[in-house]
Amino acid sequence: MEAITIVLNGVPVSGFPGTSILDLARESGVYIPTLCYDENLVSVGACRLCLVEDERNGALLASCVAPISPGMVIKTNSPRVVEHRKKILKLLLASHPDTCLVCDKGNRCHLRKLAAEMGIGLVEYQKIPQPDVIEELNPFIERDLSKCVMCGKCIRADQELVVEGAIDYMNRGTAVRPATLNDVPLEKSECTFCGTCVAVCPTGAIMEKNRTYTGTAMTTVTTVCPYCGCGCTVLLGIKDGKIIYTRPAPTSPVNRGTLCARGSYGLDFVHSPDRLKSPLIKVDGRFKETTWEEALSVVADRFMQIKKADGADALGVFGASKCTNEENYLLQRFTRSVLGTNNIDNGSRLYNAASRVGLGTTLGYTGTTGSLETLERSSVIFVIGADPEISAPAISFAIKRAVKFKGAQLIVIDPRRTPLTQFAALWLRPRPGTDIALLNGLAKLIIDEKRMDEEYVTRMTDNFAAWAKSLSNYTLARVEDLTGIRVKDLQAAARLLAGAEEGSIVYGNGITQQPESAGAVIAIANLAMLTGNAGRRGGIFALERENNAHGACDMGALPDFLPGYQDLSDVQARKRLEERWHCSLSSRPGLTAMEMIQAAEAGVVKGMFIIGENPMVAFPQPSRVKEALSKLEFIVVADMFLTEMAGLASVVLPAASFAEKEGTFTNFAGIIQRVQKALEPVGISLPDSEIIMRLARASGSPMPFSSLQQVREEIERIVPFYHPAAAAHARTGDPDLSDVDDTMPGNRRLYHGLFPRGFGRFVPVEYTPIIDEKTNGHRFTLMVGSSRYRFGADGRSSRSARLKQFSPGDYLEISAVDAGGLGVNGVSRVKVVSAHGELLTYLKINDSLPRGLLYMPLSYSGGVYELFPAVLSAGTKAPALKTCAVRLERITEDGEAK
Amino acid sequence: MTEAAIKGNGKKRTIFICQGTGCVSGKSLEITEALKKSVAEQGISGVNVDFTGCHGFCEQGPVAIVEPEGIFYTHVTVADMPEIVESHFKNGKPVERLFYKDPASGQAIPYHKDIKFYSMQQRIILRNCGRINPERIEDYLATGGYEALKKVLKEMTPKQVIEELKRSGLRGRGGAGFSTGQKWEFCHNAPGDQKYMICNADEGDPGAFMDRSTMEGDPLTVIEGMTIAAYAIGASEGYIYIRAEYPLAVKRVRLALKLAEEKGFLGNKILGSNFSFRIHVKEGAGAFVCGEETALMASIEGKRGMPRSRPPFPATSGLWGKPTTINNVKSLATVPVIIARGADWYASTGTEKSKGTCVFALTGKIANCGLVEVPMGIQLRKIIMEIGGGIPGGKKFKAVQTGGPSGGCLPENYLDQPVDYESLTAAGSMMGSGGMVVMDEETCMVDVARYFLSFTQAESCGKCVPCRVGTKQMLDVLIRICGGEGRPEDITLLQEMGNNIKAGSLCALGQTAPNPVLTTLRYFRDEYEAHINEKRCPAMVCTALVRYYILPDKCMACGICARNCPVEAITGAKRMVHVIDQEKCVKCGTCLEVCPEKFSAITKVSGKELDVPREPTPIRVEKPKVQAVT
Repeated sequence: MEAITIVLNGVPVSGFPGTSILDLARESGVYIPTLCYDENLVSVGACRLCLVEDERNGALLASCVAPISPGMVIKTNSPRVVEHRKKILKLLLASHPDTCLVCDKGNRCHLRKLAAEMGIGLVEYQKIPQPDVIEELNPFIERDLSKCVMCGKCIRADQELVVEGAIDYMNRGTAVRPATLNDVPLEKSECTFCGTCVAVCPTGAIMEKNRTYTGTAMTTVTTVCPYCGCGCTVLLGIKDGKIIYTRPAPTSPVNRGTLCARGSYGLDFVHSPDRLKSPLIKVDGRFKETTWEEALSVVADRFMQIKKADGADALGVFGASKCTNEENYLLQRFTRSVLGTNNIDNGSRLYNAASRVGLGTTLGYTGTTGSLETLERSSVIFVIGADPEISAPAISFAIKRAVKFKGAQLIVIDPRRTPLTQFAALWLRPRPGTDIALLNGLAKLIIDEKRMDEEYVTRMTDNFAAWAKSLSNYTLARVEDLTGIRVKDLQAAARLLAGAEEGSIVYGNGITQQPESAGAVIAIANLAMLTGNAGRRGGIFALERENNAHGACDMGALPDFLPGYQDLSDVQARKRLEERWHCSLSSRPGLTAMEMIQAAEAGVVKGMFIIGENPMVAFPQPSRVKEALSKLEFIVVADMFLTEMAGLASVVLPAASFAEKEGTFTNFAGIIQRVQKALEPVGISLPDSEIIMRLARASGSPMPFSSLQQVREEIERIVPFYHPAAAAHARTGDPDLSDVDDTMPGNRRLYHGLFPRGFGRFVPVEYTPIIDEKTNGHRFTLMVGSSRYRFGADGRSSRSARLKQFSPGDYLEISAVDAGGLGVNGVSRVKVVSAHGELLTYLKINDSLPRGLLYMPLSYSGGVYELFPAVLSAGTKAPALKTCAVRLERITEDGEAK
Repeated sequence: MTEAAIKGNGKKRTIFICQGTGCVSGKSLEITEALKKSVAEQGISGVNVDFTGCHGFCEQGPVAIVEPEGIFYTHVTVADMPEIVESHFKNGKPVERLFYKDPASGQAIPYHKDIKFYSMQQRIILRNCGRINPERIEDYLATGGYEALKKVLKEMTPKQVIEELKRSGLRGRGGAGFSTGQKWEFCHNAPGDQKYMICNADEGDPGAFMDRSTMEGDPLTVIEGMTIAAYAIGASEGYIYIRAEYPLAVKRVRLALKLAEEKGFLGNKILGSNFSFRIHVKEGAGAFVCGEETALMASIEGKRGMPRSRPPFPATSGLWGKPTTINNVKSLATVPVIIARGADWYASTGTEKSKGTCVFALTGKIANCGLVEVPMGIQLRKIIMEIGGGIPGGKKFKAVQTGGPSGGCLPENYLDQPVDYESLTAAGSMMGSGGMVVMDEETCMVDVARYFLSFTQAESCGKCVPCRVGTKQMLDVLIRICGGEGRPEDITLLQEMGNNIKAGSLCALGQTAPNPVLTTLRYFRDEYEAHINEKRCPAMVCTALVRYYILPDKCMACGICARNCPVEAITGAKRMVHVIDQEKCVKCGTCLEVCPEKFSAITKVSGKELDVPREPTPIRVEKPKVQAVT
C-alpha cells in the first residue's frame, strides 16, 4: 500500500489509505476534539465536533469518518472550524439539563470538559427539554436520558463489542434515543448489565447506580479483575479509600473496553462489612481476635509439631487459584522447602485438571494455544461443553464478534440452549456424557471423507495410524445412536470444521468436569491436530474458571509438578531448586485436594493450611468433607471472610483482597498481567505473600525476599515462560524468543509452528458410558452450570451487595414435557434426590431443555454438590461435577408425594 | 400515440379508465366495472374497456380516454357510464359536458392533444403512463418495450452502454444530479464479484408522486432500465426499495417482475445471453430519510435506516459492503429510451449541462395540479402559468417551492429562470426529486418555512447533532416568530444556524433542511421583519398575529356570527352591534365565513388593533324613509 501525504495544519504528514484524518492527526500529535469517537468502536461521525476544513474547497469534514485522500489541505483549527464546533457544542448544551453541579459524572463528563476547553459557559439558544428519566429497578445501571447527547456509543458498544443487541436507536428527530426493545426498563430487557455502555457514555446519561453522590475519583488504578479466567483489565476509580467505580480498560488486548456484570459491579465485596480485619484464634470453640505474632507463632509451632510427630506428609496445603503468581510460588516453596511435603494443590483441580492432563498428553502443553485475537480471526469456531457468555464473557464477546462481523461460522455443541446458540450455524445437542463418542465420530468422518489436513498431520504429529485405527468403532450409525445427533448434522459439523481456513475449538467445564474429562480433552486435541488447527492456525481454547488457575499451576502449586511443570522425578530439576532453596526436596508426589480430604478422613493427614478456598462448598459431598476436615488436628485458613471453611479452623488469618496487593495474574491464554494495589488492606489484614513469608520466618526458615520484585526475579529464572521476553511474546504474539533458553520444555506460551516436544501426539481415547444410575429410578440427568451474577463458591459474589440483590433464589429448570409428566408447574417445590444426597428447591419451566435433562445454576444457596458422588477420575484426580442422575419428588403442602 | 395500446387490443375502439392511485380513490375501479356493465347491457360490440396508470392530470380525475380518436373525459362518475356508452359509442356523439374546460376561457376541449396541460409537455419518462395497461406486458412490448434491452444484450458491451449513457448527459433524477453514466462507470470499475443494482423508489416528499405514478403506470420501463443498468455495472441481483405506503405501485411492480421473468426478460441467462439478473422488492417502512442512499441500503440490510458518512461511496462499498449502484425511478425509466433512440437524440433536449426532461409534481395554489414532464431549461413561468394554468381565483403568485421539503422558495422574479440543476441551486433551491409547490399571496412565507422545517425536523434520523438539535432550534425560533414572540436577533440566528447545519450535517437531509428557511429569509425577509417588528403577518395566516373585528357600521345584528362562534366570544343583542371579545377569540375565522356577504361586517387584520366599541352598541341603521300619506 502506498502512503498518502496530506497537509495538516501546514505540515505534510503521511498515512496509509483508509486512515481517517482524525487518526492521522492524533498520530501526528494534533488534537481534535471528539465526543462520539471511541477507539474500539466503528466511527459514525455523529457529533460533528471533529469537523475540520479542507482548504482546497472549504468543505467541512468529520475527521473521524473522513479518510485521507491525496492533496488534502486540512486545517483543524481555522476560525470557521472553531466557530462551527462551538455552535455544535452549544446546540448540545442547549438540549442538556443544567444539573452539572449535582451530576455524579462530575469532572469525568466529556461534554463539560469540551465546554470548558472551548470556553462556553452561557448558551443563548433555546432550551430543548429532553425525554423523561426512566426509572430502573436494577441495582447496577441508571439511565437519565435527559443527559443523553446521542453519541450512540452505548448502542455501538452493545452491538459491536459485546454483541448483545439489548439497545438500539428509537424514534426520530429530537425524540431519538437509545432504547431497549419496546422501550422496557433494562432489567426486563436482554441487557446483561455488563457495564460496557456505562464505561463509554461521555455524560451522566448512563451511570453506575449509586445511592449518594460519590464525586469524582481521586486516582484510577489499573489492575486485573479477580473473577474468571479471562483476566480483563479493569480501572478502579478510587476516592477516600473506596472503589467508587470499576471500568474496563479500553486498550486491554483481552477485554478491549468490555466487562461483565461481575467485573463491573461485583468488586464491592472488597468493602464488605464481613471482611476479616485481624487474625482469629479459636479458644474453647470460639474465635477471639489476636495479633499476627501470636497467630503465626501458634501456626508455625503446630505445623512443626505435626511434622515432627507424623512426618511432613501429615501436612497438606490447599492454595488458591485466585491468588497471585507470586503468592502461589511462595506457597509451594514454603510447602516444599519449609513443611517438606508435596501435598500441595490448588482450586483449579476441580475445573481444569483435565486440560493439564489432556493437552499435556497430546500437545505437550497445558492450556489454551492461542490469543483472543486468533479466536476472533477464526473462520470456524467450535464450542463444546462451554457457556462462555456466563462463565468467561470476554471470550463469548470475541466469538460473537467473529460471527457477526467477520463471517465466522459457529458450531455449538451443548444439550442446553445457551446465549451462543442463537449465533450458531449449527447447534448439536448430544446426550450428556457422550462427547468422546461425538468427537471420535467427527474425527473418523473427517478421515473417511479425506478432509484432514494431511500435510500438518504428517509433518507435525505422530501416532496417527494407531489412533486412526482406534476410531474404527465410531461409525456414523453408532455415533448417532450414542449421541442422539442425526448423521446429517454430524456430517455438516465435520465438514465445516475440516473446511475451515482457521478453526478454533473452545471448551469449558462441560468437558473438564465430566467423568472422562481428560479423555474428552484428548479427543478435542486429536480433532484439532487432525484439522491442522492446533497452534498453527486457529487453536484450542480451554476456558478457566478462576482468574489465576493458569498461574497457580505454572507456579507449581501442584502435588506432582515443580514450578514450570518440571517433573518431580527429574533429579536435575530438583537439584537446581534444592541448591537455590537450600533444602532437600521430596520426590514423592503429594496428594491432590480431594485426596487430602480423604487422607484427613482416614487420619493420615493431620494438619492443613488452606488459602482462599472453601472445600466445604466447592467439593462434592460437603457434609462428608466437613466431617473429614473436622478430624484434622489443626487447620489454618487464610481468607478474606469467615467462610464455612474458616469456621472450622483453629487459626484464621485475614487476607488482603486483590485490590489491596501487588503481583501478577496469568489469564486463560497465558498472558501475565500486573495486579496493582489500589487500597490499603482492611484492618491489619495482609496480602497472602506477606502471610506466607512471615509464616516461613516464624517457622524458622525465612525466605530470602524483601520485595515481590525479588520473588518475580526468581520465578523468571525458574519458570522459563515467565521470562519477560516470553511473557511479552505471549502478549504480542511476537515470535522473537532469542533471549529464552529454547531447550527447556514448555518454554513457549503460544505455539508458532512447533510443538514443545517437537510433535503433537494422537492419543486414542474410548467412549465409556456413564454408569447408569437411572435403573434406581433416577430417571433425570441433572446438569449444573455457572450463573451470570454469581461466581464460584460464592464467597465474594454473595458479599457483593449489588450482585446479591439481583440474583434470583435457587431453582431447578425442567422441560415443560417433563413437568407435565410429573404434574408439577413453574412454582412447585420439589425434592431432588440422587444416590448420594438430596435437596429442596423450586421448579422453573425451561422449554428449550431436552426431555430428561434438568438444569441448576450453581452457587446460590449451595448444597447442590451434596447430590454428586465424591469419586475421582483416574487421570485427573478430580471429581465429576457436571452431571448426575436424580429423581424428583413433588412436595405437597403437608407431605411428600412422587 | 396509443397505436401500440390499440394494437394490444386488437385495434378496436378502446376506452381507457385511469387507474392511478388518485383516480382509484375517485372510484375508478367501480367506474370501470359500471362501464363494462353498460357496454354489455347496451349490447355494444367493437368497444373495449381497459385501464391505464396515471395520466398525470389528477386535478381532473377520474379521467378516461377513448382511443383512437383521443376524446378525453374528466371527472367521470359511475353515473356517467350509461350516457357515455349510449351517446358516444352507440350514437357517435361524445358527451360534451365531461370534456375538459379551459380554466381561462371556459371553453370545452374534447381532444387530449389540444389540452394545454398535455400539449406543452414533453413526455419521455412518463411516455407510457396513461397510455398502456400497466398490468399487461404485451402493451409494454407493443410500445417498443424491451427493444433497448435486446439491443444492449446483443450489440453492446457494458462499457458501450456506459459510454452511451455518459454521452446522453443523463443526470440522476433523485435530486443530486450526478451523471448516471459516471455512476455506473465507477461501479463497473469497482473490483468485486458480487454487485448490486438498487432502484430508489422511496419517494417521501410530501405531495410528490412522480415515482409512484411511473411505477403504477409503467413499471416495466423501470425494470428494463434496471436490467440494463445491472448489465452495465455487472450486477446479478437488484432491489427495488419502494414505500410500503404505495400498495398499488408495489402490486404492479411485483406483477411486472413476474411477467418479465415469465417472458425471459429477467432471471437466468436473459434473452439467451450470459447475463442473469434478479430483482427483489423491499418495502420501506415510511422513514423519509430512507430515501438517502446509505440509509436505504442500511434498511435493506435489515438495520435501522440511518445514513452513514461517505466515502466510501456505494459504488465501491454499498449494500453488504459490495459495489452498488442506486438510481432513482425516473433515471431508470429514461434509460431504455436513451438506448433505443440514442444518446444524441436524448441530448438534443434540455440545456447544456442538464439534458432531457424532468418531471414535476405540480401542486399548491395552482389550477392544474398534476404530474408534468417538461424539457430541462423550460422557464418556471411556463410550467406554472401555462401548463399549470396559473393561480386559481384570480390571486397573485407569490412563490414556488421546488425540490421537496428541503427545497427553497423562489419569488416571482425567478419565474423566468430556466429550470435546471445549476440555476435552481444558484437560486438557493434545488431540483430535488421534483416536487413543485405553488404559493399565492395568501401564503405566509414564515409559516411555510416553519411547515417544511417541521417535516424535515421530525424526519431527521437523529444521528448527527446539527440536523437533530439544530433544526429543532430553528423550528422553535420559527414557531416563536409565528406566535408573535420573535426577537430582532432571530433573523441572524436563523441565518447562522441554517448555514451551520448545511455545512456541518452528515447527510443530504440535514445539508438541505434549512433551505426553505434560508431562501424565504433571502427573498421574503420583509415578511419575517413584519412578524418580528410589527407583530404582523402580511398574509394573515399566523393566527397569533391576526385579529377579527366586527365593523360597527356594517353589522346588522343578525346574530349568525354569535350563534356559530365555537367559544362564545361574540356578544350582542337584538339591534345591537355585535362585539368580539379578543381575550376569548381563538381566531378560527368562523365568524368571517358565516357573516352574510351582503353585510360583510367581519374583518381580519394583522399588526394593528381596530378602534371599535368593546361593548355592544345600537346599530346605526338608516331607517327607511316613511313618506307621509296624505
